[in-house]
Amino acid sequence: MSILTVDQPGKSVLMMGNEAIARGAIEAGVNFCAAYPGTPSTEIAESLARVAEHFGLYAEWSTNEMVALEAAAAASLAGLRAIVAMKQNGVNVCSDFLMTISLSGTRGGLVIVAADDPSAISSSNEQDSRNFAKFADLPLLEPATFQEAKDITKWAFELSEKLGLPCMIRSVTRLSHSRGNVKLGEIPEGRPVARFEGAYIAGAFVAIQHSALHQKLEQARAAFEESEFNWYVGPEDAKFIIVTSGSGWFYSREAVAALGLGEKVGILKIGTTWPLPERFIIDHLRQATEILIVEEVDPFLEQNIKVLLAEQAKTLGPIEVYGARSGHLPGFGDINQDKVARALASIKGLEYRTRDEVYAQRASDLALPILPPRMPTFCPGCPHRASLWAIKAALKLDGRDGFVTGDIGCYSLGAGPAGFWQLKTLHCMGAGTGLATGFGQLGQFGFNQPVISVCGDSTFFHAAIPGLINARFNNSNFLMVILDNGGTAMTGFQPHPGSGYDALGRPAPVVEIEEVCKAIGVEVKVRDPFEVDQAIEDLYDMLQEDGAKVMVFRRKCYLVESKEKGRKRVFVEPEKCIGDDCGCARFCSRVFNCPGIIWDQEAKKAKIDEVVCTGCGVCATLCPRGAIVVEGG
Amino acid sequence: MAEGKGPVDLEKEVLNEGLCASCGACVGICPYIKVVKDRVAIIEPCGISEGQCYDFCPRTPTDIAALERRIFGEESPDSSLGSYISIEMAQATDSETRSRAQYGGVVSALVTYAMNQGEVDAAVLTRPFDESLMPTSVMAEQSSQVLGCAGSSYITSATLAELNKATKQPRGAIGVVGIPCQVMALRKMQASKHETGAKGVKLVIGLFCTWALSYKGFNEFLKGKVDPSSIKRIDIPPPPANILVVHTKEGAIEFPLDEIRGSIKPTCNICYDMTSELADISVGMVEGIDDWNTLIVRTPEAKRLIDKAKQGGVIETRPLEESRLDHLREASLNKKRRAISEIVKRTGDEKNLLYLRLSDEESRKFL
Repeated sequence: MSILTVDQPGKSVLMMGNEAIARGAIEAGVNFCAAYPGTPSTEIAESLARVAEHFGLYAEWSTNEMVALEAAAAASLAGLRAIVAMKQNGVNVCSDFLMTISLSGTRGGLVIVAADDPSAISSSNEQDSRNFAKFADLPLLEPATFQEAKDITKWAFELSEKLGLPCMIRSVTRLSHSRGNVKLGEIPEGRPVARFEGAYIAGAFVAIQHSALHQKLEQARAAFEESEFNWYVGPEDAKFIIVTSGSGWFYSREAVAALGLGEKVGILKIGTTWPLPERFIIDHLRQATEILIVEEVDPFLEQNIKVLLAEQAKTLGPIEVYGARSGHLPGFGDINQDKVARALASIKGLEYRTRDEVYAQRASDLALPILPPRMPTFCPGCPHRASLWAIKAALKLDGRDGFVTGDIGCYSLGAGPAGFWQLKTLHCMGAGTGLATGFGQLGQFGFNQPVISVCGDSTFFHAAIPGLINARFNNSNFLMVILDNGGTAMTGFQPHPGSGYDALGRPAPVVEIEEVCKAIGVEVKVRDPFEVDQAIEDLYDMLQEDGAKVMVFRRKCYLVESKEKGRKRVFVEPEKCIGDDCGCARFCSRVFNCPGIIWDQEAKKAKIDEVVCTGCGVCATLCPRGAIVVEGG
Repeated sequence: MAEGKGPVDLEKEVLNEGLCASCGACVGICPYIKVVKDRVAIIEPCGISEGQCYDFCPRTPTDIAALERRIFGEESPDSSLGSYISIEMAQATDSETRSRAQYGGVVSALVTYAMNQGEVDAAVLTRPFDESLMPTSVMAEQSSQVLGCAGSSYITSATLAELNKATKQPRGAIGVVGIPCQVMALRKMQASKHETGAKGVKLVIGLFCTWALSYKGFNEFLKGKVDPSSIKRIDIPPPPANILVVHTKEGAIEFPLDEIRGSIKPTCNICYDMTSELADISVGMVEGIDDWNTLIVRTPEAKRLIDKAKQGGVIETRPLEESRLDHLREASLNKKRRAISEIVKRTGDEKNLLYLRLSDEESRKFL
């Protein structure tokens, strides 16, 4: 039973920020959910899909975020309430539609949740998606607490419907992936009937449409002035005020408490971040002489407030603004209570130490020797380890200094030691193929290095197909290796068009990757990367040919496979293991580096960690002495 | 024998210099060195400074005299053809064997005999034109597999890699058929202090070889002219023909040898050994006589086997005419001269003969 289905208004339930957002959508009577998996947004659509049948709502994993937004917009145009959730990069992907749906307007409430990943814990970039709301002239809401995550989402649908505009909610990892208590509201009844009417044309008298859009924003602003999502805590006459939004709220409260400044410093928390609730802000800054702006990631609020202060200079008088521009907060990366407390302390001339220096030194001395440096790795049994080893070998055998352009997925970690440092470029979905098709045209400039682009199965459907078609059409010369592990693995193994089942677990038609490649007209081979020597030979052979070619390395994610089919026991016969000597030099535990293989320091032999090993058996095929054995063959 | 060097040096001195003979001695010992077609590469440095790979390579400094002492009990008295007990003409008595073979079928007959008699339990052989231009290395465990490997391939496959694979599953007494570079590497393996894939090798048959073609070069050359999967046999008739003949299912096609010389592996130009001087038995063609071989018997054990095979009626021998023997010596000496000349061209120093460690007397013959 899912938290989302609990029908007890007033009950307090512990839930993840993303679940709170999903619950808010349920309480708003959402009918349609479309998304592409992306950390930290994935659980929003995932939890809605889990209760889709229960609530009679529609949920899908779309091929990419653009399609997701368009599909959800259709529901809105048919009078239904729809939600789309994505990570920051997804906003970039659907930006073209975002910039036009704002002009055509919407009908049923359409809520777009952008979940940013400050410090790129699980991304290839960090960005502040709030800028997109301003760019697209859309109202922007930023929940700061778990309760707000639910309540803001629910209200966003009402606002969207009132204005006939999509409404953007911006979350960050800290909120989306933490858990807190949320008091439940009511679950509405009733099933609306979908029906399309009218016309929604962006591009008809755009200047007028744009002007109308600005007027809608002013209506939003008016609503924001009275919003329950903006509040002030602290002394009434505070001269020093922290202005914050989103995750900055909790950090600011903690920092103020840590420095004992509760009597001196006020906190003005904004939940309706764009357009700014100007009157509300001006009212609360009348007594202020100094403000510190706390937010993640860009100085978005800071710059907008500075504009406001400039406009209101006569009314408010000079106010010193501290934040990213003044260097008190970084303006990049994630923030925490420590950074905020340091900023406050430095401005206030206070001393701030998180812990005793002697203690800090002792902790460091104790921890560092026992904490080994850990680079990102692949799971035990991951087929990408075998694929990238085969690619490395094929390129080395080819001998022309070939290289790999990378893409987004589990295999992105191939840029590091996990993938033997093979990926030499990494940007966004589909970029590996796009770059490769460009590199593959440089022959006339003396370029003779073979190029391999690696791309996941989900990435292929999401973004790489146009690049491959381009390669065929423009006769580009490269080898595309599609790492097909059966699902969108990095985000939790959600299904994609090649998986055979949908977001609700129902059987779904399979779009065969190799058939798409054949239809495009490129040579395509399908191999099992666990057959390493054969894979190396086939890759090498393909590298000798001209034109665009595709190799599909098909092997299901072994974590999933071993759960479905059970694990074989793998072990080392120590008398056969030659370890440090010529002929091995600790290949399995040191170079191949599967986390399931450990080096026994005392015995000086390799050993399989039976808790971690998933039983894929690839190490057994690579061991030069056959010292690793798979039980049962 | 070179000591104290490993894969980094192997890459620098041999692989990056285009001198790899693709013999396969360094492949299959460890996971770091791989071969595809006839290309060998070190995939990842293993971090060990002294390695078997460097030790076994036929293009790293080799004390040939020491190897000769080890195999024959003494250094070779004959600098043109190496140490030998007898040189004769020979052919397989079975006509089917002769028809499958390149020339007299002696190698196929001897290996089949040795397996049937239990002299060896398995044989490392090379099968030419296995659906492609690239030959395949085979560890034959049934004598019936031997004839399938008959015929010359002008491309080297990494045959010794098959031996290294054997360390995973021991196979008793092994016979190996190889070309001079492979034979040299095999002997270096046998002389090594390590336990190697050569453990168990009881019989070494070496072929005569003037040069080999690179797979890539020859494949490119044949593209559009011949479908590799239709090739039944490739032959180079003796001078002055100066052609290479490709026999396909549809018939024979001739190519000027001069157009193919560009695909000769660079390492062959510095090769000092035409008749596999370090083998137990060496077998080659007899120019102009297509169904006979030149048979060089080098060790007493080899003589015993040959005599037994003759008694068993699987091969017959005939004396080799003096003029043919002189011609063979001259051909072998020419190869050595070319090798020295090419090496000195590379090093620019008559004292630096790369992998060769010749006695002063020997060097003086060519410099």
